[in-house]
Amino acid sequence: MSFLAPLYLLLAGAAAVPLLLHLLRRNIGARVEFPAARYLQRAEREHSRSLRLRNLLLMLLRVLLLLALALAAARPLLRGFGAGHGATAAAVVLDNSLSTTAVSEGATAFDRLRDAARAVLLAATPDDRLWLATADGRLQAGTRDALLAELARVSPMQGAGDLPLAFRRAAAAVDGAEVPTHVIAIATDGQRTAWDSARRVSEAVAVLVPNGDPPANRAVVSVNAQPTRWTPRGAILARVASRDSVGYRVVIGERTAARGIAARDEPITVRLAPSERGWQAGRVELEPDDFPADDARHVAVWIGAPPVVSTSSTAGAFFSTAVATLVADGRASAGAGIAITAADVATTLPALLVPPDDPVRIGAANRSLARLGVPWRFDALRTAPAVARGDGLDGVTVTRRYRLVRQGAAPSDTIASAGGEPWIVGGQGYVLLASPVDPVATNLPLRAAFLPWLADVLGQRLGAPAGDVGTPIAAAPGASIEIPAGADAIESESGARRATSGDRMSAPAERGVWFFLRAGRRIGAVVVEATAAESDLTRWPADRLAARLGGARARGVSEPAALAHATFAVGASHPVATPLLIIAFLLLAAEAIAVRASRSPAA
Amino acid sequence: MEASAVRADLHDPASLAALGHLEIVARWVVDGFLSGLHRSPRKGFSVEFADFRPYQPGDDLRYVDWKIAARSDRWVVKQYEEETNLRATLILDVSRSMDWRGAPAAQRLTKRAYAEQLTAALALLLLRQRDAVGLVRFDDAVRTSVAPRARTTQWRRLLAALAEPSGGRASDVAAALGQAARLVTRRGMVILLSDLLVDVDTALPALRGLRAAGHDVTVLHIMDPAERTFTLTGEAQFADPETELAVPASGADVRAAYDRTVETVIGEWRSALGAMGARYELVLTDQPYAVPLRKAFDARQRRP
Repeated sequence: MSFLAPLYLLLAGAAAVPLLLHLLRRNIGARVEFPAARYLQRAEREHSRSLRLRNLLLMLLRVLLLLALALAAARPLLRGFGAGHGATAAAVVLDNSLSTTAVSEGATAFDRLRDAARAVLLAATPDDRLWLATADGRLQAGTRDALLAELARVSPMQGAGDLPLAFRRAAAAVDGAEVPTHVIAIATDGQRTAWDSARRVSEAVAVLVPNGDPPANRAVVSVNAQPTRWTPRGAILARVASRDSVGYRVVIGERTAARGIAARDEPITVRLAPSERGWQAGRVELEPDDFPADDARHVAVWIGAPPVVSTSSTAGAFFSTAVATLVADGRASAGAGIAITAADVATTLPALLVPPDDPVRIGAANRSLARLGVPWRFDALRTAPAVARGDGLDGVTVTRRYRLVRQGAAPSDTIASAGGEPWIVGGQGYVLLASPVDPVATNLPLRAAFLPWLADVLGQRLGAPAGDVGTPIAAAPGASIEIPAGADAIESESGARRATSGDRMSAPAERGVWFFLRAGRRIGAVVVEATAAESDLTRWPADRLAARLGGARARGVSEPAALAHATFAVGASHPVATPLLIIAFLLLAAEAIAVRASRSPAA
Repeated sequence: MEASAVRADLHDPASLAALGHLEIVARWVVDGFLSGLHRSPRKGFSVEFADFRPYQPGDDLRYVDWKIAARSDRWVVKQYEEETNLRATLILDVSRSMDWRGAPAAQRLTKRAYAEQLTAALALLLLRQRDAVGLVRFDDAVRTSVAPRARTTQWRRLLAALAEPSGGRASDVAAALGQAARLVTRRGMVILLSDLLVDVDTALPALRGLRAAGHDVTVLHIMDPAERTFTLTGEAQFADPETELAVPASGADVRAAYDRTVETVIGEWRSALGAMGARYELVLTDQPYAVPLRKAFDARQRRP
């Protein structure tokens, strides 16, 4: 038996009143003068047995009457009372997250869950109120037939979805229904990571988590391109979850770029210098298993030609040597492109600018910066030693630097700082150092980080085409994402396009790499992937998950066929307030008859 | 009050008591009672023949001289001389239990007030028949004792005795009956007016002693209607004012049992008194005085 208004059960305490009166009547305080008290005493003595029985009967009738009224006020529901089930507000939550595509015994978990959900809907009656909620957060109300048709259209998502959200919405829907019984039927694979954040509800819950252990899963749990732009060299960093070593393949565009075997828990690093140019889609694939959805994970990378660099002698010997090394390594080429020069002699952008060796030239350098549109100026010379911070340059010591002063409001980044002040700043087409690249001023050229930093500055900050500076967007299927400025369309890896408008859009529902286009040119990418947690197929047992979600009023089953019965077993609880009121009325009538019988002289 | 207009003996006792004091009301009651009789009581009570007179409609057929009627075809009625030879003693219970009523004062008299009024009316009725009337009042002792007299001043004496106070709690009916036996040396009539909330084991032997002495004994059991039929409600300690007895009970719960018990008690008194040749009459305090007067009058009429 359950109660819709259990607080009214407190009224049952009133049943103690006749009980106490019965037990305490010998201590009645009121005193009434009655000369014929001896007759009263004799009457009690001669009729004590019948009086006791009558008093006991009256007490029982009154206690039962109050209990029946209290029970009726609490609006009880009784299982097995009546045939079938009473009018029920039932919301079916179907787990169609990516994890339900795992195959077990020749069928996906999703197929089993959908069959169970269908059985629940088929068991509904016209008096029931029905909803269907899915992991993508959609909640649809309708008749049984309408929801059966909707159920047939549901397919597994490409991501984790938000099952707790679907659960909350289902609970809110049934909570507002004006039928006596509320129940939420959940058909899920019981994935722990999907349900960890779910909160308990007050409604009755029936949970199906199919029998059996989840399949052994191998998954690519992360893929990153380092750096995000390749000019053209870069690396694919991947991490694989597997119980043993597993073969992998790295694909860039349509081409297999690398193959290998990854040991358990060993990170995968593949360095590449692809010949493709522009935004490219890549992925890391594993050998297929019973959960193929996470056997591949995608990545987007911008690949460009090596930056063309010209080095001025005014920039110092270290830059010349470093650039020569990059050119020899194929990571840069010599020519009129990016200028590395002292600021006082700089004439064009893009440029890597350093202060002139001669402090006298600082004024000329500032005028040059102003002419080039760089919003920074050299100020006073600082000679106090300082330590650099940022952009991989932590620990670099700085002994001579010019204080950099911001001019105007043009966008700018502080790439590294020294002594709490900007030391290396960058913006559209320029990177500006506050110290000459000379061991007298800084030990930067002597550090191992110098050459990678320079390659990154040339390739990433100064070598990329204007407007293509965005980094790939990582998004879950269907998530809201920001559209890059100027993008007018989005394109799949296969070339299918659709227009975009506004500032935001929903990420595509399918996993993969999608490119933003501006006038047909790829200017950015979004990588749609499920969260890595979706690859963790560890399950909650049905009864424990049911207890988490519904407390004492929950029931967990492991057989799909049992979900419908479990759902409407809760719903089979019929309201018994009316029969209790009838019983109360009969008790009242019996009490009245008993009292009247005792008052009748003929009795 | 005009007796011809409203017979006081048929009036509600409580309303009647509000109209005048004991003496006045007693006169009204007796006048009303006598006016309701079909024949003259003064003629009927005597046994010594006086004369004949022609029969008139309304005359008692018992006094028709049938021999004359057979011989002369004339209907004549025998007339008798009045003769006073009855000595009656009224024994009135004035114990604490008699000072009780089961309804507000405006609606009902206490048992004692009712009994006193009835005693006064009975005494006046008997005195008007030339009977000697005496009075004994008692509670836990004999409070008043007036020897039977038939003088015209006896009525005043009795009224004065009825006005005397009483201070006891319980009812010592045996002592009162013993006193009555001493007052009435010749065989006579004894009328006990009491609620009979007395010790039965002592009351019955005393009554039996009166009967053995040749007295006519009539017991008027004065009872409030609320004692006859239990009407009190609620939970309470029902306390006897004469004793320390207090019975906790719920009115609704014990009502039926109580009523059955009272019925039994009345039956026991009736059978016990009947067995010894005494008369028992139940008198409820909401009854008009004509009812008990009639019962006592009938008892008087059966005497030779």
